[in-house]
Amino acid sequence: MAEFKLPGFLRKSNMIVIVVVVVLIIVLALSSLFVVDQTEESIVLLFGEYSRTVGPGLHLKLPLGIETSENVPTQIIQNMSFGFRTERPGINTVFSNVDFPEESIMLTGDLNIVDVEWIIQYRIEDPRAWLFNVEDKDTTIRDISQSIVNQLVGDRSIIDILSDERPNIEFFAQESMNEIFDNYKLGIEITAVRLQNIVPPVGRVQDSFEDVNRAVQDMNRLINEGREAYNKEIPRTRGEGEQLVKIAEGYATERVNRARGDADRFLSVLSEYNQDPLTMRSRLYYEILEEVLPKEGTTRVLDRGIDTAIPFFNFLPNTSTLNQEGTQ
Amino acid sequence: MKRALVVLIVLGVFVGLFLLVGPFYIVEEGEQVIVIRFGQIVSEEQDAGLKFKIPFVDNVVRYSKKILSWDGDPRRVPTAENQFIWVDTTARWRIANPSRFYSSVTTMEQAYSRLDDIIESAVRTVIAANGIVEAVRNSNIINTIDRAAPLDGALSDESAGLAEIQNLLTIVDAQPEIAKGRRMLSQEMFEDVSETTPRFGIELIDIVIRQIRYSDDLTESVYNRMVSERQQIAQAYRSFGEGRKQELLGQLENDKRAILSRAYEEAEGIRGLADAEAASIYSEAYSQNAEFFEFWRALESYKKVIPSLDKVITTDMEYFDYLYDKDGN
Repeated sequence: MAEFKLPGFLRKSNMIVIVVVVVLIIVLALSSLFVVDQTEESIVLLFGEYSRTVGPGLHLKLPLGIETSENVPTQIIQNMSFGFRTERPGINTVFSNVDFPEESIMLTGDLNIVDVEWIIQYRIEDPRAWLFNVEDKDTTIRDISQSIVNQLVGDRSIIDILSDERPNIEFFAQESMNEIFDNYKLGIEITAVRLQNIVPPVGRVQDSFEDVNRAVQDMNRLINEGREAYNKEIPRTRGEGEQLVKIAEGYATERVNRARGDADRFLSVLSEYNQDPLTMRSRLYYEILEEVLPKEGTTRVLDRGIDTAIPFFNFLPNTSTLNQEGTQ
Repeated sequence: MKRALVVLIVLGVFVGLFLLVGPFYIVEEGEQVIVIRFGQIVSEEQDAGLKFKIPFVDNVVRYSKKILSWDGDPRRVPTAENQFIWVDTTARWRIANPSRFYSSVTTMEQAYSRLDDIIESAVRTVIAANGIVEAVRNSNIINTIDRAAPLDGALSDESAGLAEIQNLLTIVDAQPEIAKGRRMLSQEMFEDVSETTPRFGIELIDIVIRQIRYSDDLTESVYNRMVSERQQIAQAYRSFGEGRKQELLGQLENDKRAILSRAYEEAEGIRGLADAEAASIYSEAYSQNAEFFEFWRALESYKKVIPSLDKVITTDMEYFDYLYDKDGN
């Protein structure tokens, strides 16, 4: 209709209509365009009813709330921690100092108490299920995760939990959680369950556990001390033994050599003796006496005719003269 | 034209008003509604989409169709042994029959309060009827886990007493077998509660025990037990080490004596052989002329012995024979 009117009319009241129309177009355009990020998928609802799921990019929908869209991060792995909280992740991740014993204190199968901290990682697999099947999603995930880990810890002894059973708990926890969440049709997949800190309760209980470790060290130290003493003494003793044997061997060599020497001498002399026994005997006899009898000052000779030597000598032990002579 | 415009605007306003108060309403995904007319439930809508109602007359009440959580406070409950433990349970449920839900509880607050009552009583009943291990454990796997014996491979050699110490260090005593286990107890609670909930239009999906803890006084005594268990084990390690050390020191003494005595034995043997050999050398030589040997040996002996004696000799000796007589008579 406006075309048939004058431009003057346009300039006057039609100006308002144009502005209204432009604004309307902008509003329509804005409410019918939406962007989905690379990490997301988007669910489009027509009058509240599920219509379609769209991937990353720029998309159109009916304006004015006839169609609504909701973006769901389906590519991002999300984290949830139990027993502790991360305050600020980064190269030096800051953990909150606050503990959450109501999450981490558990009973073990042998009725001991243990403090278990863990994380789970999950990814939203089915955005439609994620949005429409479960109401309190975070609470549900937390509740089930806690319940499963509690149950697995409750099935094992504290020593096993502190050592070899860790990977089993992680494995079974992941498996059972996935099973339960599938039952709820929650639309997520648990990609990892990681046990973090597993410790006995802080304080004297933890100290006593550490004392066992120290005791093992002590045991090894004591055994090593024993071995050290042994290793120190025994080689030396072996040496001592060797020495005894060597000395004996020296003695043996000497003894035999001497015997041979003596024998050789005897045999040599004997062979001479056999030539002329009489002369030889006399010669030897005199030689020996010449060698044996003389000793300056001490040897006295008595004549064979004298019957007793008593008048001449004082044999009583208290005479100093004799003593002096005897010691010369 | 102006009139037409006015008519259009008026019409638009009417349509707008009609739509606003209007016969249409939207049911979102994950929602369910009931339509109430003059206090009576006239219809139930489960499916999402655009729906029609009579304006001003029909009242729409919306409920969630999704799975809902119920989270009770931890409760201090006695077990069959009359030990008090904190039991923390959670449950999942949904509104299965919105009409009955509306007529019996109406609001979510009411529903939670009903659930509080029935679930808590079920938890108490079931926990009180069973021992603590039935609630803590779920299976008997604790008795079948393979464990390396303590100290296996920790000591390179030996030894007597190792088996004994391993016995002392037994990490896990055999635990009592359980008959039901935690999951079965949860199931019992679930069955108990499920009997009642349909009356409220509620479907219970599960009940799980989220956490079990000792009450504070019990915690203290458990700590004491844990500490004394560890102390006993630490003591066993230390005294085993001490014992091994003494054993090694004893071994040392033993080996030392053995080595020295064996050396003595060998040395004496060597000496004896040498003595024997020397004796045989002597006798072989001397036996060639025994009479000369006597003479020879006597002279040798004189040579050694006589010089050191104080001597008073008489001329009675043969040696002096020529002193008295040139013929020696």
